[in-house]
Amino acid sequence: MQILEIENLSKCFGGLTALNQVNARFEEREIVGIIGPNGAGKTTFINVVSGVYPPNSGRIIFDGRDITKLPAHTRCRLGIGRTFQVIHPLQDLNLLQNIMVGSLFGQGNGLREARVKAQEICEFLGLDQLERDTSQLDILEIKKMEMARALATHPKILFLDEIMAGLSADETKEVIETIRTIRDQGITICVVEHVMSVIEELTERVIALDGGRIIAQGQYKEVANNPRVISAYLGEEE
Amino acid sequence: MMFRSGQPGLSVAGFFGLGGYAAALSFLYWGVNPLVSIALGCLFSLLVAFILGLVILRIRGLYFSIATMSLSEIFRVIVMNWHRFTGGPSGKALPSAVFNGDSAKIFWLFLVLTLLTVIVSEIFERSRIHFALTSIRNNEIVAKSSGIDVFKYLVVVFALTSALQGMIGGAYAHSYAFISPEGSFNFNFVLLPVTMALFGGIHSTLGPIVGAVILGVVGEYLKLQLPYGHLLVYGVIIVIVILFLPKGIVGTAKERLKHKWATI
Repeated sequence: MQILEIENLSKCFGGLTALNQVNARFEEREIVGIIGPNGAGKTTFINVVSGVYPPNSGRIIFDGRDITKLPAHTRCRLGIGRTFQVIHPLQDLNLLQNIMVGSLFGQGNGLREARVKAQEICEFLGLDQLERDTSQLDILEIKKMEMARALATHPKILFLDEIMAGLSADETKEVIETIRTIRDQGITICVVEHVMSVIEELTERVIALDGGRIIAQGQYKEVANNPRVISAYLGEEE
Repeated sequence: MMFRSGQPGLSVAGFFGLGGYAAALSFLYWGVNPLVSIALGCLFSLLVAFILGLVILRIRGLYFSIATMSLSEIFRVIVMNWHRFTGGPSGKALPSAVFNGDSAKIFWLFLVLTLLTVIVSEIFERSRIHFALTSIRNNEIVAKSSGIDVFKYLVVVFALTSALQGMIGGAYAHSYAFISPEGSFNFNFVLLPVTMALFGGIHSTLGPIVGAVILGVVGEYLKLQLPYGHLLVYGVIIVIVILFLPKGIVGTAKERLKHKWATI
């Protein structure tokens, strides 16, 4: 069952074409990886799909519905969740409150329910001492908080933008397991990553972007060995 | 409260004056009961702010401040030139002050209206609105990616705060029994409330109250010493607050206390 379809999506910032006629499909409960060198358009892809930027052309069809013209907050409520590459804690709210925001507005819950839901998610992710200020959290906890906030909006598809960045090997293992559990609860996952071992272990399908275009798609092994992908990361062979 | 959303709204004088004029003119032309006319002033400001908000809340932060500052001026100029209706530059005097100038009753009137404002502020602080405004102030993109309809919240807050300003403006007009472009839309009605709020701390209901009490008393004293000297002091205070005490007195005190508790 297809949950998200991207049709000929293009996005330009002035003279720079960040996304060029991108076509992609996501099936329910898939774990898809997006790879590509810096500047390939991975984060822009997430931003356009989640509604932060309107596309210049193309269509986004989510759950059978054309959401291309819908604002970000509506897309969130419909079930598109995402985390941010550069962590963005809401600094004037504490850990629990940050997560409650997702439940309050992404789901429309009341204060009491939002608090309960947020606490449940914290338990699931292994977060404690929830009254702490965001400045007191270590990197793994902040990443978990970002995931928690997105999970609190009850997404049907979750985009994780370089969530493994800065994590140790053990922490990365933990997050991989968590992502699998999230998927098992029925949520489609799309991870943007630079760490290839994570992509290899976690994803069922990989999309490779370069210069705003999809240059390869398929199983990790094929994509990783695709000469175009290799040259995109490493440059042309002399 | 507008400040809590991250958008410094400087149109206080504008909606204050608008409410004053609406209250005074409805009293003069339609013979409306003064207290009802204050409610009308409140509603009029609410409507105008809502309509204008739909337009100017497409811009943010500093630019929003500039736009709202200019609103006060725009209202003042319109009122000043609409001689026949508003009495032009010389304004209008009302035949009698509300409650016939009884100071005690006027005191109670303002107390009730202040309480109303306090209640609204507390409702904002204790409800989901607090979460929405704080999120918007901290990071608008995260806010909208988490399902917050940023525009809707900003318009609602802008309209509500302007309504409150109009309500007080109406009461003010009736207590002095006089409205005029210079008097009702005076810049003091932006400078003083904003300074008091910033000084006391915009992140709580108590903050502006503390700020108003301290600065109000200090201001009255300074006025005796230097004519207009209090304006200079207020300007200096704004700069000091922005540089050293961004959370104001109450906000900084709360933080210090939190630290103390945490390190025990």
